[in-house]
Order: sequence, then C-alpha cells, then structure tokens
Amino acid sequence: MPKVIVNDIEVDADPKDNCILAARKAGVEIPHYCWHEALSVVASCRMCLVEVGEKKPDGTVVMGPKLVPGCQTPIKDGTVIKTDTQKVKTSQALTLELLLLNHPLDCSICDQAGECYLQDYTYKFGKAQSRLDEPKIQREDKYHIGEQIALFTDRCVMCTRCVRFTREVSGTAELQVVARGSHEEIDVFPETPCNNKLAGNVVDLCPVGALCSKDFLYKKRVWWLKSADSVCTGCSTGCSIHIDQNEDKVYRLRPRTNPLAQGHFMCDEGRFGFKYISDERRLTKPRVSESIALSKKSNGSKAGGLGDLNFSDPWSDVLEVTRTKIKEAIKTDARGFVGVLSPFMTIEEAYLLASYLKQLDSRVRLVLGPVPMVGTDDMYPKGPKGEAPEAGKVKFTIRAEKCPNRLGVEAVLRHFEGQVISVAQVAAKADATSWYFVGGYQHGWVDESIDRGVGKPSLLIVQDLFPSPLSDRADIVLPSGSFAERDGTYVNHSGLAQTANAAVRSPADTRSDGRILMELTERKGLYNAMAIRKEIGGVIRSLAALGVGDLGENGVKLNASNREPVFS
Amino acid sequence: MTTKSKREKTVKWGEEPKIGWMEAMYLPAVMSGVATAVRHALSGKPMTRQYPEVEPEIPANYRGVHRLNRDEEGRVKCVACYMCQTACPANCIEIIAAPAPKDDPHWENRDKYPATFTIDELRCIYCGMCEEACPVDAIELTSIYDLTGMTREEMIFDKEKLLSVFDKTIQSGQDPVRTNRGALGPASEEAETAKQGPPPPGRGRKG
Amino acid sequence: MIEYMKELWPILWPTLGAIGVILAFVPILGLYMTFIERKIAAYIQDRVGPNRVGPFGLFQAIADGIKIFLKEQVIPDHVYTFLYFIAPTFSLMTAMFALVVMPFGPVPVEYESGFRYVVAPGIDIGIIMMFAISSLSAYGIILGGWASNNKYSLYGAIRSCAQFISYEIPLGLSIIGVIAATGSLNIEKIVAAQGGSLWDWNLFWQPLALLVFFTSALAETNRLPFDLPECEQELVGGFHTEYGGIKFVLFFLAEYTHIVTVSFLTVLLFFGGWHFPGLTGPVDASLGGMLLRTFVLVAKVCGVVLFIMILRWALPRFRFDQLMGLAWKGLIPLGLVNLFLVAVVLTLGLPKHLLAGTAVLLFVAAMISTYQLQRTLNQSNPRVMNGGIRGVSV
Repeated sequence: MPKVIVNDIEVDADPKDNCILAARKAGVEIPHYCWHEALSVVASCRMCLVEVGEKKPDGTVVMGPKLVPGCQTPIKDGTVIKTDTQKVKTSQALTLELLLLNHPLDCSICDQAGECYLQDYTYKFGKAQSRLDEPKIQREDKYHIGEQIALFTDRCVMCTRCVRFTREVSGTAELQVVARGSHEEIDVFPETPCNNKLAGNVVDLCPVGALCSKDFLYKKRVWWLKSADSVCTGCSTGCSIHIDQNEDKVYRLRPRTNPLAQGHFMCDEGRFGFKYISDERRLTKPRVSESIALSKKSNGSKAGGLGDLNFSDPWSDVLEVTRTKIKEAIKTDARGFVGVLSPFMTIEEAYLLASYLKQLDSRVRLVLGPVPMVGTDDMYPKGPKGEAPEAGKVKFTIRAEKCPNRLGVEAVLRHFEGQVISVAQVAAKADATSWYFVGGYQHGWVDESIDRGVGKPSLLIVQDLFPSPLSDRADIVLPSGSFAERDGTYVNHSGLAQTANAAVRSPADTRSDGRILMELTERKGLYNAMAIRKEIGGVIRSLAALGVGDLGENGVKLNASNREPVFS
Repeated sequence: MTTKSKREKTVKWGEEPKIGWMEAMYLPAVMSGVATAVRHALSGKPMTRQYPEVEPEIPANYRGVHRLNRDEEGRVKCVACYMCQTACPANCIEIIAAPAPKDDPHWENRDKYPATFTIDELRCIYCGMCEEACPVDAIELTSIYDLTGMTREEMIFDKEKLLSVFDKTIQSGQDPVRTNRGALGPASEEAETAKQGPPPPGRGRKG
Repeated sequence: MIEYMKELWPILWPTLGAIGVILAFVPILGLYMTFIERKIAAYIQDRVGPNRVGPFGLFQAIADGIKIFLKEQVIPDHVYTFLYFIAPTFSLMTAMFALVVMPFGPVPVEYESGFRYVVAPGIDIGIIMMFAISSLSAYGIILGGWASNNKYSLYGAIRSCAQFISYEIPLGLSIIGVIAATGSLNIEKIVAAQGGSLWDWNLFWQPLALLVFFTSALAETNRLPFDLPECEQELVGGFHTEYGGIKFVLFFLAEYTHIVTVSFLTVLLFFGGWHFPGLTGPVDASLGGMLLRTFVLVAKVCGVVLFIMILRWALPRFRFDQLMGLAWKGLIPLGLVNLFLVAVVLTLGLPKHLLAGTAVLLFVAAMISTYQLQRTLNQSNPRVMNGGIRGVSV
C-alpha cells in the first residue's frame, strides 16, 4: 500500500487511486467537475489543480514546480499532495471565476440549487464577486435534448461528463460538444435525441443545473426533499437508490453508489417508474365481503356492536376476521390452503407469513407468485449498431426479471416448503380450497390461467396494491404498501441482500405488508425489520448472513457462506 | 438544618425597603395617589385616537398585508424560487411552480413562474422574512394594516388577490420603502438594463 | 277583607313605594355606575372612555345591559348546580336587604303618615340590623366560590371570608363612638343629632372613627385596594370565575349596591346626612324642603361614591398579609383607643370637639410608635418583621 501525504496527513492509498481519491481518504476534499469515478479522465475543468511532490527516502520533500490536475495524476509511495497552499487556493478561485463568467445567476429558479457543485465550491473556494463588466453570453434552452432531459445551455460548465457517459456507459453516444472556444455547447445530432434507457443518469452526473430532469423540473426545491436509502424494485438488478420525498409524496429516485449492486447508475425504467405508488386506482380500504360481514354480525360478536362504531381504524376488525377465517379454513382443509408469496415481498414479510401459516398447520402449501419476465437482459454499453457488449465489458444491465426479490422469497420457500412451487402449477391442478394471495406487483399480474385456476374457492384473501380480477371477488381484501413504504431486505440476481427503508407513510387506509402481517400473525409489538432479520438469520440457514441485522449501506453477499444451494 | 444552611448560602436575602413614619401612616401616600389620579382626570388631554374617524399615520416600513409585485410587462415578478416559503417561520406561504408557458410571447423570456401563490394571512406573523428572502423583490409587505374578513377562506390570499394589492397600493402611492427596490438583487440589474435598452435576444436571465 | 285592606293601605303604601323606589333604582344605578366608573377610569388614565353608544356614550350602560342579559347561560360541568345558582341571588338579596333601614331622603325622627324615604322607618336597632345583614353578603361569595368547584374560586371565597371577619371588628368599633355620643342605634336619630351647625357633623369631632369606618367599609365592599377575593392577576376572576352572563351581573350589582350602602352610611353617620349649612334643624314636611334635603343627601353620597371610584385607580392592591396586618395591627387598636377617648369625653362631660385634636394626635403617635417598634425589631432581627415576610430572594 503506497503511503501518501495529503496536507501533512499520512494515509494508505490504493495504488490505482488518483490524487482526488487519495485525498478523500485523508478527509481532504479536492474540488472537481469533470472527473467522475465511473468515467474516463479528461482533466478539462481545471478545478482539481493541486500541488504534488515527492518525499524522498532521505526525508526531503520536493514539490513539483507547477500545479497538476489531481484527477489525472496517479500516486505512488511517498507522493505529497498539498491542497491548502496559497497557490492552490488562488488557482481554485480563479478557475471558479472563469467558470462563472457566463454562468447565469438564476439559482433562484434552477432545480440544481441546493445540490449544485458550483454553489458549493464557490462558497468554499471561490470569490464573492464577479469582476465581469460585459454582458453575459446567453444561449437558448434546449428542451429537445431528450424526452426526459432538458438542457439549460448557459448554465453548462463544459465538463463533458454527460458526453462521456453516453459514449462510455450507455454506448449510444447521442450527446456531443459542438463548436469551439466560448461557443462550445452540448447538443445532440438533429433528429436523434438522447432517449436511451440510461439517459436519466446524465442529470445526476451534471455537476451544475444544465441538464435537468423534465419529470422533476420545478416540482420541488431539493432542500425540501428528505431521502431514504432503498432499493429499486424495477428488476432483479436491485439498484441501490435514494427515495426523495416530501410530505409523503415521492418526487424522484436517485441512484445510490453501490459497487456491490449496480455501480453509480440506474435505468430510466426504474428512475421514472415509481409513479404507480401514488396511482389513484390503488386499493385504499380493507374490505370484507358481505357474506362474511353478515355472518360475523349474526354471531353477535363485538364487531357487530362496537365494530360499527369503530370507524377510525377499519383494520382492527378486518384483521381479526381474517385470522379467524384462515384458521377455520386450515381446520377444514389444511392441504387445500395455499399461500402465494409474491417476489415483490421482502424476505421479512415472506418469512412472517410463511412461518405463521406453517405453524398453524405444516400441510399448508406455500407457493411462489408469478415472476414477471419482460424480454431479455439489456446490457450496456451498446456497440455502434446497438449490439450488446462482450462479456466482461458490461457496465450496466437492465434485467428481464422484473421483480426485486425472487431469490429471497425462494430461499424462504425452500426452508418452509422444501421446494419452490409456482402458483401456476397449483392453479393448474385446481385442488386448492382457500387462497392467501400476496401481490404488490407494479403491473397487473393475474393472468387468465391463475384466474381460472383459482376459480371460486371457499376463502380468497388478497393482499395487493391494485384491484385485479381476484381482488374483485375476494372475500377479504387487504390493501398493502408499495416499495417506498416497505422496510425490509431484498436479494438481487447475484445474491446480494440489501435493506430498503420506508420513505413515506402508507396513503389513506393502506398499510405496508410488514405491518399487516405483523398484526395478522399475532406477533407482539410493531414491525421491526431488523429484529425479524436477526430472527431469520437464526432460522433459515441459507439466509444466515442476515443474522447481523444491520446489513450496511451496500448490503451483504449471501453466496459467501451458505451451505444450502440457494440458487439452483 | 443542613438544608437550611445550604439555602442560606445559595439564597441572597434581600430586605423590603424601610419605610419612614410618614409612609407608615399610609395617608399621605393615599392622598398623593388620589391627587395624581385627579390631576390626570382633570387634565382633559386624552392620549387616545378616535380610530375609525382619525386614521393613524403608518410609517412606510410598516409590515402589513403582502403584495406580489408586477414586472414592467405586468407579469407577476415572482420566479417561484420558494425562498419565501423556505424562510417563512409560520409556514403560511404555499407556492406551486410551473414552467412558464413557452408558446405565449408574453412569457417568452421567463422560465419558471408561480402557478399558484397562496398566503394564509391569518397564519402569517408579519415578520417580513419573506421579503427579506426574495431574490427578485417580488413579495413585499405593504402598510395596509386594517385587514378584515368574514370567513377564514377569504383571508387566504391567492396570487390574483396579492397582485390586486399591488395594483391598489401602486395607485394609492402606499409603496413600501423597506426593500430599497431597484438597489439589490438580479432583478434590480434587470430593471436597469431595461432602462438602457432592449435586452439581447434569448432568455431574459441575467447575472 | 277589603275593609281590612282599606284600613291597612295608609300604612302599606309608603312602604311599598319605598321598596319600589329601591328595586327600580338599584339595577339602573348599578348599570350607570359601571358607566361612570369606566369614564372615570378613562379620564384618570388619559383616555376617553365609552363614547360610541349614544351622546357621550350614555347608552353604553344600556347596551351592556342588553348584551349581558342576552348572553348564553353557560353552566360548567363541575359545579354544584343548586348552590351555583343560589349564590349570586343570595349576594344581591343581602345587598338589597341592607337598604331596608337606609334612608335615601330626609326622614323625620317621629313617625308620620305618608311617603317616607325609607322602607322601614324608626327602627331602633337600625344600624345593628344593617351590619348584621351586610355581613351576610360574605355568605353569597363563599357559596359562589364553593359551588364553582374551582380552586381559584375557592381561594377567592376563603380570602373574602377572612377579610370580612377581620374588618367587621374595626367597623363595629368605629361606630360605637358615634352611637355612644348619640345614645341611639336609630339611624334617623343619629342623623338628627348632627342637625345643628356644620361642626355638629360627626366628621369634625371623630375623624379617627371616620377613617377606621371608611377603610373597613371599603374592605367590606371588596373594592380596590381591598379586592383580594377577585383579584384578576392572582385568581383569574376570584369567586366569580365560573360565572357569566346574568349570574355574573347579579354579583356585580351586589358589589355596586354595597358601594351605595357604604356611601350612604358614611354620609349618614359622619357627614351629617341631609343636613347642610343653612339647612339645619328637624325635617319639615314641605315638599321643597324635602326635595332640597334629598338633593343634599344624594349629592353627598355621589361625592363619596366618586371618591371610592377615584381611590380604585389611585391605589395599588394590598398584599394579603398587609391586608390582615392593617386590620389587626392598625385599625382595631385605633378603634379601641378612639372608643376609650369617646368614653372619657362623654363621661367627664368635656367639650366633644376636644376629641378632634386628640384623635389626630393619637393617630400620629400611634404611627410613630409603630414605626419605632418596627425599627427596633428590624435591628434585632431583620428577617422576622416586615409583615412576616422573611425575605425576598434577590
């Protein structure tokens, strides 16, 4: 490990680090615009200029005569980096002054304000005033850059991160630098907008407010947003994300850098695909069919009298009825009771339901809900003709399996059922008398075969987000929560278990699955994902890695220590 | 006793002021009190103002009802930056921003404007933080102090009502003076350029 | 029956008339006293006072009356309903009952037929009766405080109770001198005894008695500076915290009736009643003389009422220990000494105006001795004196 001295602090750096990364390890920030970990180095913004020298074995320090760009300068043992000398400070201030020459002072309407590197660096390293007397150059906004992105040309600092992204990561190369000198602009070729499936990432990459997301444009100032670390449920890649919300409304998803999961980026499908969670078609109220409600009333139980008055919380009665009904059904025909676990459930939720049903009667069958598959895996960067990259050069994959947690739910099923049966198999046999369906899918999932296979059972419980043919005729409907409302763990395609945190409260009278199941399965206390995770770690051997409880920001790989074959 | 001695240490004991024998009789004090009362009663110079008939002179930096200023072209000056909403300690401002209608030549050189701008005048504490925060001097507190209404709903001022307050105060010459309009912020520079000549083509944002 | 009524009528109608006059005037008086009080308060505080309703705001009192009568009757959940309703009624009843022996115009000592300016003339224990009844007014306040079932109300009531008991004593002591000099408890006779020259007024030979009487009487009316039962800063509203609307008005009227009673008593006992220089001697029956004397009496009473109102805005409220100290350490000894001196003068047959000087001297001497005593005590143990307050943390 090479030793690097950053502002008199000695740190161990990685041999592959550049000066910026080495300084970061010493807790020193070297400002930079054009450099990005996932992109190639161009050293064009000149913001990261630092003094670099060498400490000789005899202890003397020799500094280089000129400032060098930190992003481009590799380190070796004994490299000395100085970022706090007057020379560096002057250079940073001058660079910022130049970058701001033609930058409009429209922070008040710029969406980036609040998370803008120009603002931050000017505040930290720059000058308070501009010395420019001439009028600033003004350029036209380019709303035609892409379906999801708009370019505010005069805010651009020409770092070319976006250009390099389309060339190196998405491989589609739509964005270009046109003209030269002070006329430089980012643009696309005529009639070829930047609409690839990773295009949204250029908005995150842009260190200033030049590239803005049209979806989020002027919706909310970023300082109002509170973010929660979560996991994208769009496909089995399981991108780490931030969910940015304000007052229980999700405004945007942002990728969270996670080297174990997806890297720095996420696809537009996931990024803009969260809208369904605030869809007005969502089930909003727990519902019990009239026949059950009537029989309950005739029983003269307290729900008949007090229950009618209990308008504030419709859940307490419904869950009680559900529990009795499940027990009755299992008593009559345990083998005929089928619990369907959806691959959108977190491991904790699947475990809660599976362990409860199996503990009521071990003959109850647990099956895996339908796993949505769309097309084939979409890999980036694309070649010049749109072809997939060679193996080993893949930088980003959008998976065909459009659910986040098939592997996790399968692990739970293997433990409790011994094998993974799909719902289609049971539906085909049509020997089930009662069903407990858990949905949570983004899109309609009840196909005709399931619909027909389920038929008209004696008990049909549906816990789902959206109305479906099943929920229409269900005896009990429990409106559940979307991914933004869930706490729990997902296992992605490669066996990486990541935790997702709830960002918003459940709308109207819905509840997240964890909360429903916690109460339904007669457990004491509130739903606490970490406590259940620890329990699972002790119970299910293939998921023993979850026993630590806190999986950290990046998650834990399950393959490392498992003995059961989880992934066949 | 320990507690007492502790208290003796920590508590400083003061004395009531000693009174002389004239005061101990109470009567002179009573008489001087009565004399003061009678003197005031007979002075015949009330300090009060007969309010609805005699209106007070409100200083120009009084913080009364808000107004939303218009720019030279009569559009709302506000650019919907949410600064006032952020600064507001009473959470009484609610803005919903929208991209300015690009097709409309009237809005050609504007990017963002407030689609709605609502101030709950009942919730407002008239602290003036909003006008202090405003980067374009679009929101100001006027010297209108007699704000009344019959319902809570009519005290929630929307954009149109706030603009109408601007029109009213402009006409009646009740301009607030606090923000030194035209002397700070990008808006003032914009105003100066507008005086010098037409802006160069393109968008109207200037630094 | 009719014969009997005819026989009774000449005796009955003057009494009924007098009752009518009192019943009619007390509420109106109460209303307008609030108006006058507000005006005086305003003038003293350099304000204008009510001036919106009618000329000079004269109808303000009526507007207030209408408003307060139309107010919602709020009965709090936690009160003892029966006592809660009884208390204000009782308060006003006792206050008005005390007016029974109160001449509100010239009344001859000897009974004559025809209208008299008093409900019950020629009662030989008039003044005793008056004190007995007005002492009962404490009952209404205590009932109110108790029935409210509210700690502040109860505090107010208990304070009021202690205050009443304490000030009854100097009140009684102070008039014994007057009664002894007159030799009668009959109010008309006491007034008649002052019927000579101006110097015959009790004021001029018993100033000490007047002082003790007036101070104690003020305390009995719960007026500032003695309004501890209802002091807003400490007890919200005191005993009437839970009362509103017409029930509150009854308490209010009772208080103002007390002021009127006290003012009348002061004038009758010390300021020569309806007598005035040039208007002396026994009451003649002529209408002009009657009206003139009535006017003199009412004018004097108005003066006293005005003085009470001015006092309210001139003096701060007593602290409770000061209040008690004033009664027990100040007024009661003074009253006793005054009684002793009156007894000496009367027994030895000395000129009674000798008392005026001695009384003032005595008063001064008492104050000096108190002051000296206080000073010596202060020197020996600074923390025990000053009205029992041990110290103020700085």
